[in-house]
Amino acid sequence: MLKKLLKYDLINIYKFLIIFYSLAIFFGILTRIFFSIENSFILNIIGQICSGAAISMMFSILINNFMRLWVRFKQNLYGDESYLTHTLPIEKKTLYLSKIITAIITLFTSVLVVALTLFIAYYSKDSIELIKGMLLPLANAYNNKVIIILFLLLFVLYLQFMNMLQCGLIGIILGHKKNNTKTLYSVLFGFGVYLVSQTIILIIIFLMALFNKDIMNLMYTNEMISLSSTKLIVYISIIIYTVILFIEYIIGIKLLNKGVNVD
Amino acid sequence: MELLECINLEKSFGNKKILKNINLKIPRGKIIGLLGKNGTGKSTLIKIINDLLTPTSGKVLVNGKEIGVESKKIISYLPERTYLDKSMTVDKVINYFEEFYDNFDSKKARKLLKDLGLDTTQKLSKMSKGMQEKVQLVLVMSRKADLYILDEPLGGVDPATRDYILDTILSNFNEGASVIISTHLISDVERILDEVIFIDKGKIILTSDSDELRKKENGSIDEIFRRMFKC
Repeated sequence: MLKKLLKYDLINIYKFLIIFYSLAIFFGILTRIFFSIENSFILNIIGQICSGAAISMMFSILINNFMRLWVRFKQNLYGDESYLTHTLPIEKKTLYLSKIITAIITLFTSVLVVALTLFIAYYSKDSIELIKGMLLPLANAYNNKVIIILFLLLFVLYLQFMNMLQCGLIGIILGHKKNNTKTLYSVLFGFGVYLVSQTIILIIIFLMALFNKDIMNLMYTNEMISLSSTKLIVYISIIIYTVILFIEYIIGIKLLNKGVNVD
Repeated sequence: MELLECINLEKSFGNKKILKNINLKIPRGKIIGLLGKNGTGKSTLIKIINDLLTPTSGKVLVNGKEIGVESKKIISYLPERTYLDKSMTVDKVINYFEEFYDNFDSKKARKLLKDLGLDTTQKLSKMSKGMQEKVQLVLVMSRKADLYILDEPLGGVDPATRDYILDTILSNFNEGASVIISTHLISDVERILDEVIFIDKGKIILTSDSDELRKKENGSIDEIFRRMFKC
């Protein structure tokens, strides 16, 4: 049943995202073409416009991905379509799992398309050297290649996206337990859950700072922290986010299993 | 064992009690009318049976088990609203039902849709509300379920189609299965009802065999209903 649910969830999300994916790559290619033609003022201007369009499409991909996932969740579990969803012979935890896997897959492809668009539009030896220059000290600290560091940082960002998404889903579930102004409550609860998750992360980092002067400096000053401390924060962030995502997933299922009240 | 049993069922929204101590048993092989004025709790009761609302207290048993995956396999529910994804074509919706319900008969659904003159390649968004309701009824009646729950199935359709819908219900539900029809259009459904349940202000005020009630009160169900619920 999970496979079947996933099929419909993915089709629903991708049928909108595919438009933004195509536009982002299209403007990425145009940016590349116009920027590669030298000594033409007009073509350079057109290139700038295409570049702006590509960047706005990249933002649109991420914003739309989030909005689509939340709207789909709301429509499917609390809107008119919920009359079908909740009467399907499927456990509520499977319904929730399908939404989470859909989020994992679509957010992953969205981040990939954004990276691909950036690569198409702005790849050059100079830009690669710039990125290398920025990340090389960090890569040395990890005894790794720059590309691995880049992926590691993208992964932390991806986990943060997943955290934001799940906070929104829990907000929708909690908001729909109220009798009135459910949308407003959903947004408020979503923010509330997000604040709680971020506070927990901050508390854990603060506890770490009690044993690491370098990290404590990060909390009170603008000084750069050492590479080894950065490395520690990145690793700890990945662990904390993974644990928090799992806890949020369990909370989501528990709340759904308590039952729904569809209008 | 009863097909469906509600035990001390109550539902409140805030301080407002919508259902009050509902005790109900639905046997097999009957067509039962759940009758009441608008806003008396019919749809709330039906939604609880279909896991769309959580009861404040009490429980619902289907074949002796609480509401869950097993009960959903044997209950075919027609809500009072259009609930299908409107971006889908009728063909895709049929495939959807086929994938999720083991007891869905797609051949029967296609035949009924053809009888109604509905184009299965058409998107639901391009259909009128009445046409969408017909599609939904066909889908619900094309399942080989043990219990069909139809919430206001005649609400949005013209009188000629009402007869067709009632005939569809009569000729398409399984032997041994039961049908609960919630409606306030009593004169239209009266002819097919075996039993009636009158609900008012969240309470069941009468449960009876249709023929016995007609004899006892010397009138049609519609007349009895009008007398009892006179404003």
